Amino acid sequence: MKHFRWVICLLAVFALVAASCGGNDDDDSGSGAPDAAPTAVHDDSMDDDMDDSMDDDMDEEMDDSMDDDMDDEMDDSMDDDMDDSDAGPVATEEPEVDPCASVELQATDIGVSEDTISILVMADVENPFAPGLFQGAIDGVNAWAERLNSEGGIACRQIEVIEHDSKLTAIDATNGFLVACERAFAMIGTTSLFANDTSDLQTCPDAQGNDIGVPDFAYITTEPTHQCSVVTFATSRPNSECPYEGTGPRVVQSQVGHAQWVLENVEPDLHGLYLVPTDLASTITSTMPQVRSFQEIGVVIDAEPGVSGLATQAEYGPYLQAMAEANSNFAYTGSNDQSIIKWRSEARAQGFDDEGVIWMCQLACYTPTFLEQGGDTVEGTYVWLWFLPFDEVDQNQELADFMDSIGKEFPEAWAAGSWAGGVLFEQVVNEIVAEGGPNAITREAVLEGARNLASFDANGWWSPADYTTTQNIMPCFMLLQVQDGAFARVHPQERGELDCDPDNVVELTRDWAAEFGG
Amino acid sequence: MTFGLRRSVVVTAVVAVAIATVIAVFTWAGTPVTAKTFLNATYIGLTLGALWAMYATGLVVVYTTTGVFNFAQGAIGVFGAFFYWELQMNRGWHPILALFVVVFLFAPLLGICLDVLVMRRLRTAPLVVQLMVTVGMMVFLISLVGTIWNANTPRWVNAFFKDSGGIDLGPAQLTWHRFIVFVTAVVVAVILRFLLYKTRIGTAMRAVVDNRELAALNGARPNMVSSLAWAIGSMLGALGGILIASELEFNPSNLNDIVIIAFAAAAFGALRNLPLAVVGALLLGLLRQHTETWLNFGTNFSKAHLGIAPLLLFAVVVALPQARLEVGRVVSNLRRRERYTNWWEGLIGCGALMLCAVMFSGGWLNFGIWDPEAWGGPALNSANAAMALALIGLSLVPLIGWAGQVNFAPLAFAGFGAFVYLKLAGDTGNGYWIPLVGLICAPLGALVALPAARLRGLYLALMSMAFAQGMALIFFPHEWVIPRIGVGRQFSHIELFGITFDDRRGYFLLMMSVFVIGVYGLVLLRNSRYGRRWMAMHGSQAAAATVGIPVVQTKVVVYAVSASLAGMAGVFWATVAGNLSAGQDFDLLNGFQIVLLIAAAGVSIPMAGIFLVFTPLFTGLSHRLEDTGNVGFLVEILDQLVVLGPGLLAIGMVFNPRGAIFEMGRGFSPILPWRSDARAEIAAENAQKREPEIGELGLERPFTPEEVIAIDRRLGILDEVVPKEGYGAARS
Repeated sequence: MKHFRWVICLLAVFALVAASCGGNDDDDSGSGAPDAAPTAVHDDSMDDDMDDSMDDDMDEEMDDSMDDDMDDEMDDSMDDDMDDSDAGPVATEEPEVDPCASVELQATDIGVSEDTISILVMADVENPFAPGLFQGAIDGVNAWAERLNSEGGIACRQIEVIEHDSKLTAIDATNGFLVACERAFAMIGTTSLFANDTSDLQTCPDAQGNDIGVPDFAYITTEPTHQCSVVTFATSRPNSECPYEGTGPRVVQSQVGHAQWVLENVEPDLHGLYLVPTDLASTITSTMPQVRSFQEIGVVIDAEPGVSGLATQAEYGPYLQAMAEANSNFAYTGSNDQSIIKWRSEARAQGFDDEGVIWMCQLACYTPTFLEQGGDTVEGTYVWLWFLPFDEVDQNQELADFMDSIGKEFPEAWAAGSWAGGVLFEQVVNEIVAEGGPNAITREAVLEGARNLASFDANGWWSPADYTTTQNIMPCFMLLQVQDGAFARVHPQERGELDCDPDNVVELTRDWAAEFGG
Repeated sequence: MTFGLRRSVVVTAVVAVAIATVIAVFTWAGTPVTAKTFLNATYIGLTLGALWAMYATGLVVVYTTTGVFNFAQGAIGVFGAFFYWELQMNRGWHPILALFVVVFLFAPLLGICLDVLVMRRLRTAPLVVQLMVTVGMMVFLISLVGTIWNANTPRWVNAFFKDSGGIDLGPAQLTWHRFIVFVTAVVVAVILRFLLYKTRIGTAMRAVVDNRELAALNGARPNMVSSLAWAIGSMLGALGGILIASELEFNPSNLNDIVIIAFAAAAFGALRNLPLAVVGALLLGLLRQHTETWLNFGTNFSKAHLGIAPLLLFAVVVALPQARLEVGRVVSNLRRRERYTNWWEGLIGCGALMLCAVMFSGGWLNFGIWDPEAWGGPALNSANAAMALALIGLSLVPLIGWAGQVNFAPLAFAGFGAFVYLKLAGDTGNGYWIPLVGLICAPLGALVALPAARLRGLYLALMSMAFAQGMALIFFPHEWVIPRIGVGRQFSHIELFGITFDDRRGYFLLMMSVFVIGVYGLVLLRNSRYGRRWMAMHGSQAAAATVGIPVVQTKVVVYAVSASLAGMAGVFWATVAGNLSAGQDFDLLNGFQIVLLIAAAGVSIPMAGIFLVFTPLFTGLSHRLEDTGNVGFLVEILDQLVVLGPGLLAIGMVFNPRGAIFEMGRGFSPILPWRSDARAEIAAENAQKREPEIGELGLERPFTPEEVIAIDRRLGILDEVVPKEGYGAARS
């Protein structure tokens, strides 16, 4: 036993020391709250904007935002004053009066005290498979809270962030919901892949003992139970019908604007391969709607083979073979940046002639790794986003604030998503405060406010989303292309704009699990 | 014997071909068969095979020369690849220099350290301990890599001569990197074959594993040979890791997952034959690539192509001729000295455990820094998850602890139980179905036991691993097995005796009650005739058969009992989680962690299952410490322990093979008034403490008197010619 203890201690110390030493290169990209102190100053002019953006005409605005005049609205929403719309607590009928001064603040619900609002951010971070996985989501919420606090807070209170690591397990995700239920007013930026039991989230009692649930302003929701949770409002809107029993036909909306644009502007006879990620049943059922929607708008799918995240580069050879046989001019992957890097690297390795082939990928390819690792191999690849790219800070104040606060040149997408969750929370709370004062904030009021939120666009940074329906994919997109080793905007050509044509969305009803033909 | 071997191989091959043909017919993708397509798939398959061969040869070298099957071979490759990344990509070293430093300096050093610090001590350890320690090393190294090189930072490694085109081979092109991989794999196999069979050091390496003492007397240096073998194995692991890194998404999990394919390849060479291992790897590569090219398994079997290696491993291991019985060694290593727990002692122990559980769930235990109110939520949820794992762990006690049948597939049995329950009870949560679930799972255990009946030790462990992986990749992902749901829980809260156990406190007590009943049942079973049969079989199958114990029947029964327990535990496991995810919950690494933790606790002791609260306990403590503030360092240590702990605990078995619970019990028992025998027992144990190392047997220096006595003892002479006091006096 003596030896045993010695070795355990020695190994543990070695491991801890090694962990500390090895952290240097990671600190740059994966850790910590932002260094930069927020600099935005709240001025009186923002109150007018707040009135505009949050008044009863919201529905009209939503309608407007979907039509062809969207661009004009975007311009309006991104003007110089827009940056101030996130500053919170002073959106009242008489803007010159500080509402905090005249109100005795109360602890209105769980997680709300006289001077703080506790929110919980949950993400998969430490785990044996991929330690540090979604640390970016936690960083995003911390950055948002720090910025908000530096600007005076929200509802006359400061934000206090509780971090919870869901460790890539269902049990720890449930634990996160339980901690939130006990201690937090709301959850923000949830990025947990295995949140597959949301009963504790949805039935959590409030301070009055009513089982109304905890408001959950998540970033991503991968499990159907999380997607269909009645208290979850994800900034990456789920595109599928809720409630859903889990099997059988399901109504699903898909964003096809990017493929439509390519059809209309680059190659009218678009035909090729769509790689379907097959490691999880959920990835198959979430990808197949887009494959079928592509077909719906006229893209011919020559083959739709499955691809695993474990696939080696060599295993992309058969896909190239299939492309060569069908003389394909289109190659799309529903997987991540590594998938298309391997695919195109294999094409180069095999001497495959990809002249005229349109390579396309989604948000997962919007990473610095894609450019650095891919190098000139990924030149020409199209990548589409539903928000303004990180380099357009001069076009949108919310984006500028985010980039200023997060402290990275090219942050992770989930940091942006969790920040957006904070902005969504902020918008809902501000509306409540504007109507009932800073003591009107309760979980019930926040849930009510979120369910009635007809338009959220992160102050012009993101595609607008309608939270009044359970299923409503974000209609806007913008298309980038890798040119000379950088992401270059190709559509819409105007910086700061998204394409919000309603025709960008295709709605289909199928049994998606049965659709995959391989 | 020869005829039997041929028949089994032929039968297995015929069955495999028949099954493959049927599968191919039903899953044909319709890809046009052209020479170009065929050749392309063949080239790529050979490249993949060559990459896997690198790992497989490392495994074979270490096994052939040390007798230890290195489950950590893949993890060493992961470490090597990440260290290469650090030097080449992060610090900008020239690729050749970085490769040289990693493969020829770092890897051998790592191998020698592993040998000196850990593996050398496994030489005389029971096979269960050998397996657990190497699996623990695998888990530890992967966790350590993930801790040192945070996965949040994207990483990649470039292929060698990335921009230099390749060789045109008919319709397809082979890159220089792949050409190098292929040539390296073949050259390495040839060199190693030459080294092992045509050189003096190779002969010494093989001789040492057969009979260490005799080899040493003939001039071999066992310790040096062992270190050399581990150094070569590590070099091959690191080389394989570096060469494959550019082909894969660069993360520890991906790089390590390849190792199971290498196991299959190594098994193809009967774990000892290098050329056959390489051929096996190449065949696997071809099979995998041609399957991908021509077949389509659809949504429900989307991971089936990944299941080829486990299936082949299963088939090859079953068809392999089994090693000879090592009766003497087994008996001496597994001599049992512990006293069995009486029925009333078991009753007291179970009662005390239940009392603790009631206090815990009621929030009455407060260690000063924990907020009792917090028990209501996350702590109880984690405790429930731990209890469910403890129940699964309980199923391993009779199987591994008593019968010595190593099983890495507890989650496969548990998952099968959950599946059966789902089909029987639907969403009613009717708990009365649980015993029936146990009955239905028993035949599955018996079915697995049939091939296991002719397997022992390492082969059995590999077979169970292949079974677990096959179930995880092929059975559980099927939509019909565990259907996905959109709302609520797949597994409703259990209803028993008119009570719905939908609150965590009640459910914890229910599971603890089941656990206590299980523990007590096992205590009684161990004292029964059947329990003794299992342990006799563990001691020596040959001896057990000699005294009339039907070995095959006994194996089948113990497997059935274990599967039945695991199946019932699976119901609780699934009900705690509410929903199971085929992609995550059945991962082999999760199964490893259960086996490792219970083995580290003491797999022969039923109460050891409670040790599985390790992870949630530290997690809960970490949360509470976080709440108190200003203890960031402690929280960091606890978090790291949660990640690194299971591996470290398993490695610790090299010093404490019978487990922590056993040692705790042994330390505690002398103070019990009715255990007057305990002190004598400990004294007897101490007298059997490990003898001093014989070392190089006088080849480098003359024997010391202590070594002479140690040799005498080992040869069984000492007790006859030197009284005990003499031994003690000589030592002093």
